[in-house]
Amino acid sequence: MRMDTVIMGGGLSGLVCGIALAKRGQRVAIVASGQSTLLFNGGSMELLGQIDGKTVTAPLDAIATLPEGHPYRKIGADRIATLADQAQSLLADAGIRVEGTPAANHWRITPMGVAKPAWLTLKSHVRIDDLDKLPCKRLALMCVRGFFDEPNGMLANGLRELGFEVETIEFTTDDITALRRSPSEMRASSLAKHLVSNTSLQRVANQINALAVNADMVLMPSVLSDEDSIDTLQSMVNKPLRLVATLPPSVSGNRMQALLRHYFQMLGGTYLMGDSAVSATLDGDRLTSVTTAKLGDMPLKADQFVLATGSFISRGLIADYERVYEPIMDLDVDADADREQWTRFGILEPQAYTRYGVKTDSELRCMKQGKTIQNLRAIGSVLSGHDAIKMCDGTGVSLLTALAVAQSILATK
Amino acid sequence: MADNMQKCNISENNFEQCTKCSICTTVCPVAAVTTDYPGPKQAGPDGERYRLKDPAYYDKMLKLCLNCKRCEVACPSGVHIADIIQHARMTAGEGKRASLRDTMLANTDLLGTVANLVAPVANATLGLKPTKMVMHSVMAIDKHRTFPAYSRTKFETWYKRHAAQDQEAYPHHVSYFHGCYVNYNFPKLGQDLVKLMNAMGYGVHLLGKEQCCGVALIANGLYKQAKRQARVNAASIRQAVNMDHRTVLTTSSSCTFNLRDEYPSMLGVDTGDVRNDIMLATRFIYRLVDEEKVKLVFKQDYKRRIAYHTACHMQRMGWQLYSIEMLRMIPGLELVVLDQECCGISGTYGFKKENYERSQAIGSTLFKSIEQAQVDAVATDCETCKWQIEMSTSRPVENPISILADALDVEATRRANGL
Amino acid sequence: MVTNEVYKNEYDVIIIGGGATGAGTARDCALRGLKVLLVERNDYSTGATGRNHGLMHSGARYAVTDGESASECISENMILRRIARHCVEETDGLFITLPEDDLGYQRTFVDACQRAGIRADVIDPDEARLIEPAVNPDLIGAVRIPDASIDPFRLTVANLLDARLHGAETLNYHEVEGMIVNQNRVEGVKLLNKRNGEHVEVRGRVVVNACGIWGQRIAAMAGVNISMFPARGALLIFGHRVNNMVINRCRKPANADILVPDDTVCVIGTTSDRIPIETVDDMRVTREEVDVLLKEGVKIAPSLATTRIIRAYAGVRPLVASDDDPSGRSISRGIVCLDHAQRDGLEGFITITGGKMMTYRLMGEIATNAVCAKLGNTAPCVTATQPLPGSEEGAPDQRDMTKRYSFGQRAAIGRHGSLAARIEKDNDIDNALVCECEGVTVGEIKYAVHQLHVHNLVNLRRRTRVGMGTCQGKLCSCRAASLMGEFSHDVKGAQEDLAAFLDERWKGMRPVAWGDTLREAQLTAAIYEGLCGLDMAVDRTGKEDVQ
Repeated sequence: MRMDTVIMGGGLSGLVCGIALAKRGQRVAIVASGQSTLLFNGGSMELLGQIDGKTVTAPLDAIATLPEGHPYRKIGADRIATLADQAQSLLADAGIRVEGTPAANHWRITPMGVAKPAWLTLKSHVRIDDLDKLPCKRLALMCVRGFFDEPNGMLANGLRELGFEVETIEFTTDDITALRRSPSEMRASSLAKHLVSNTSLQRVANQINALAVNADMVLMPSVLSDEDSIDTLQSMVNKPLRLVATLPPSVSGNRMQALLRHYFQMLGGTYLMGDSAVSATLDGDRLTSVTTAKLGDMPLKADQFVLATGSFISRGLIADYERVYEPIMDLDVDADADREQWTRFGILEPQAYTRYGVKTDSELRCMKQGKTIQNLRAIGSVLSGHDAIKMCDGTGVSLLTALAVAQSILATK
Repeated sequence: MADNMQKCNISENNFEQCTKCSICTTVCPVAAVTTDYPGPKQAGPDGERYRLKDPAYYDKMLKLCLNCKRCEVACPSGVHIADIIQHARMTAGEGKRASLRDTMLANTDLLGTVANLVAPVANATLGLKPTKMVMHSVMAIDKHRTFPAYSRTKFETWYKRHAAQDQEAYPHHVSYFHGCYVNYNFPKLGQDLVKLMNAMGYGVHLLGKEQCCGVALIANGLYKQAKRQARVNAASIRQAVNMDHRTVLTTSSSCTFNLRDEYPSMLGVDTGDVRNDIMLATRFIYRLVDEEKVKLVFKQDYKRRIAYHTACHMQRMGWQLYSIEMLRMIPGLELVVLDQECCGISGTYGFKKENYERSQAIGSTLFKSIEQAQVDAVATDCETCKWQIEMSTSRPVENPISILADALDVEATRRANGL
Repeated sequence: MVTNEVYKNEYDVIIIGGGATGAGTARDCALRGLKVLLVERNDYSTGATGRNHGLMHSGARYAVTDGESASECISENMILRRIARHCVEETDGLFITLPEDDLGYQRTFVDACQRAGIRADVIDPDEARLIEPAVNPDLIGAVRIPDASIDPFRLTVANLLDARLHGAETLNYHEVEGMIVNQNRVEGVKLLNKRNGEHVEVRGRVVVNACGIWGQRIAAMAGVNISMFPARGALLIFGHRVNNMVINRCRKPANADILVPDDTVCVIGTTSDRIPIETVDDMRVTREEVDVLLKEGVKIAPSLATTRIIRAYAGVRPLVASDDDPSGRSISRGIVCLDHAQRDGLEGFITITGGKMMTYRLMGEIATNAVCAKLGNTAPCVTATQPLPGSEEGAPDQRDMTKRYSFGQRAAIGRHGSLAARIEKDNDIDNALVCECEGVTVGEIKYAVHQLHVHNLVNLRRRTRVGMGTCQGKLCSCRAASLMGEFSHDVKGAQEDLAAFLDERWKGMRPVAWGDTLREAQLTAAIYEGLCGLDMAVDRTGKEDVQ
């Protein structure tokens, strides 16, 4: 099967790159081995949140100070603002309603009530632009009875530390009580499936309206499956309503993934869900085809290839007893050879492995045994030199490298 | 150190890669509609650790699993969640007898043979209200269900009478595993395949001996019988591949998945040596067209709007793109690819009284999107999806092969392929 | 319980050390009618008790080298099967001979077992492969012996529960800072309540030092010298069971020669290294230890090479120098009970040490006998016949398929035996699973917090297995922390405890952080740091390890 571009990896970066290419008329196939780490996302995108433990307020300014190997530096600090705008409008085209600006971070509220710097946050989710000027004073935190994937106590505590007055209000409805009969399946995602119909939403609204009488704003866990449900519930509730991220699987992340995939397929893209690239054929310094587990002896041929397979979690990188490697082509990686160096003793210390990834040249092209592969570029978490945990730059790197690489690919045509 | 020392973590039970991320639980169609089912994570990798400790930890509710494999498709860690669950059911069910109802539903070929003989009566009786009530209460087959109509003539009979003698004349040859549905219920699909392949210059041959692939037997716990039939089929397929040098084509995604993947993983019948020679006809034809070995010419005046539904097992195989790409080759066909949702029938699952409501609830999202798509027909590679969608929506359902055969300009195609 | 009253009491006996030996001694003393206080500086079973194989030795391992220990083991083994049913899994064990081993040793081994009264059946290697498919198929000899697996956390808690049922007081997180010594007599202990920083003195007529390797320090506080030789052993836990029988190597005891199926996991161990006494609190497992365990482990069960390792841990065995050898070279491996009145002229002070987790009950009996002799108590010891709480007759059976137990209920019966009846299960929320790997419900957590002296998540893990599954507490630790915060009304504390718990889990994962264990760690970081910002909510720099 012949494509213009084959993308290995169907998460945020792979989909965004695929969309950018398909929009320009390319025939694109994405090989996605299962659902992506978007399902652990809390409804925000981060450009750059921290450097050396210090909070970044103006990411665009801070990017210029990043070390050479950081993916943003490879893209070029001067292109970041433009790419960031493109990313935002691409998300909007896919139906993902986010707000924010790359010039200044705002604050998202985590399930534990921590204010973390963010670039884009879903409109439906709670966010604070200025910690010194809170948007309101009194919050009602609606806690779903029997739902343990929102640490309500910690959330309320954190919000109070930020200066809010918080009233925690436990509630339930018939639908929720029925779901709780299952000992295991009361997750954010299962709640979302049960809170869809207008009747179910009205029951929730009735509880909120009856109980959250003293609040300026009502917060509830992000357990609404789509924008329609959110709008419907907001219209039924007589106060401003905002959602707070829950522990995974994330409903909003799932929704973002589904919207991006839907949009990609609408543009004619081929999304091979549940398949994975197992090997690739090199001809000199060019890749000619990728073999997948399921297509078997009918490999995917293309002019251009993109590696968007993610970090260790997504198995874009593999660490075994002896080494860290890239599993499809054994590409060159930036990683310590000695296992002792991969990790540190304290869990909250910066861990070296989170910065590991495939080695790329200045145009994000991958290398094998020191030689650049001309038509294979890497994007997103599989790239080395950034740290989604300690720099809060994971989603930003995914979005911007995806768009930068799409531009490079289109330019080669 | 051993060569394999900690190179990979793949135990025999294949659940070690699970990071407990719970993504599988977001796609399980059963857990979404019932709280009785503990969900794929709990039923699969979590429960397995306990069952290894003591088989008494088996949870009877695992029988609610549809074996749709959506959890496996979604799993970012490559865990064979549904296989773990099926194995657990198999182990727990060893030595137990299946109910009459399950045996009857599972033996699609036996039921078919009898029904074919008396097709008009069978169709009338299976559709009649009193019969349905008896089936509902005595057999526990849901009264809302209509059995797919049985054909008066089996496909095999038609083939022998009308097609067999012409096949040797073609320059190329394939074998065809038609499956029970084509044989007993819907010979037209088999006839369409013969028409299509013949037009491209391929003779179509039946296997030496074909038995039901056993997908329903596995689902209903009749593993011994399934294993027996699997051995017969594996032998016939080997004969076709190794002696006659023919690829074995199929038109049912579930049969294909079963022959290729479930035989070795569920029944321990190894088909690895011929796995690559068993394939859906759409994949085979796509490859021929892609490699420019054949040309297809379609009718000028063909005009239809079709929605493609990816059957669960099709998605598990990852082959929907071949059917989709084939349909896209038809100039007058406007294709809508539906988001992948389970239809809820899962073979014989939805026929059982206790599952009816669940089955319909599972399929409701798909039914809604089909109605909204405003199409002339729905295309899918699975026959049980076809029954379910036809029973639950206003749209007819066709196999992509039938659509291709219908849209094909046979004479022009023959000429284009030098016949 | 108002702790102030506990401090004010005067006790017949104060037992220092909340491991199996201390707990067993406390139970025995209480059953004989003594007024008992047990103090533990950390949580119960944090020392060697909770840091071994979880193997209920048949004694076969010691048969050739130490017949006395072997006899003690088999006798205690049979007793524990009766009194601690809910802590024991009767797996049986194999002693296998590999091609690299001397098959002649098997004869010596079987003879020695018979002398010690341990049933040892030589079986055909084919039969061994059949009854334990995980065993190295190259084996050339096999002996079947009555080994079993035992949960030391449960065992210790059951002993403490019974001690309390019979009037004993038990305090965890109370560290002994000094001994009250008055004219050659120990009269009590000086304690630091580590949870609130309070310093108190408690008096007792006899003080029992049951501190394992830490006993040397305690003795020194009373001015008495005991020479201990810490022998460190490291072990690896695999994510699920590969074997259902204990598998030992039939040769002279060496590194990594026992593989034990424990609950939902299996454990290979141990290494054995003499370490300086100053380093006994450093439980970090080294890369070299991991390598040795793996290299040897795959010889027992080749599938360990491809099985995920979920953690590594180490413990320190308390070996004691024989009193008759001042050089300290001669080491007693058996039970050592020192009456310091006879040995050192110090009244009211007894040290019980040496031995094994396996012989904890016997050690308790010996120590209690010594205490009773001092106090003139003549009540007989009944600990060998009276079942522990949870193992009484009529305990529900998780194998009972006629009753519809939920997964969580079955898992709880497996852990708590008849005591599982105390777990609330009348509503959907109590039945909800918090830890899905190990089947721990809200009800079980409530029970543990309210009845089993749980102050933090690590305590909770030891009582219930929360966070002991393959994910090492991925989502369950947050759920459990929320519940703990709710119960204690200290949300901030619960949040800090959560970070400490994850840190504790990570310390065991780090030495084996490759493959899926590294993926697991990255996902945990993505959730707790990335998504939740836990690192910004708490500060763990300079915090002590939670025990």
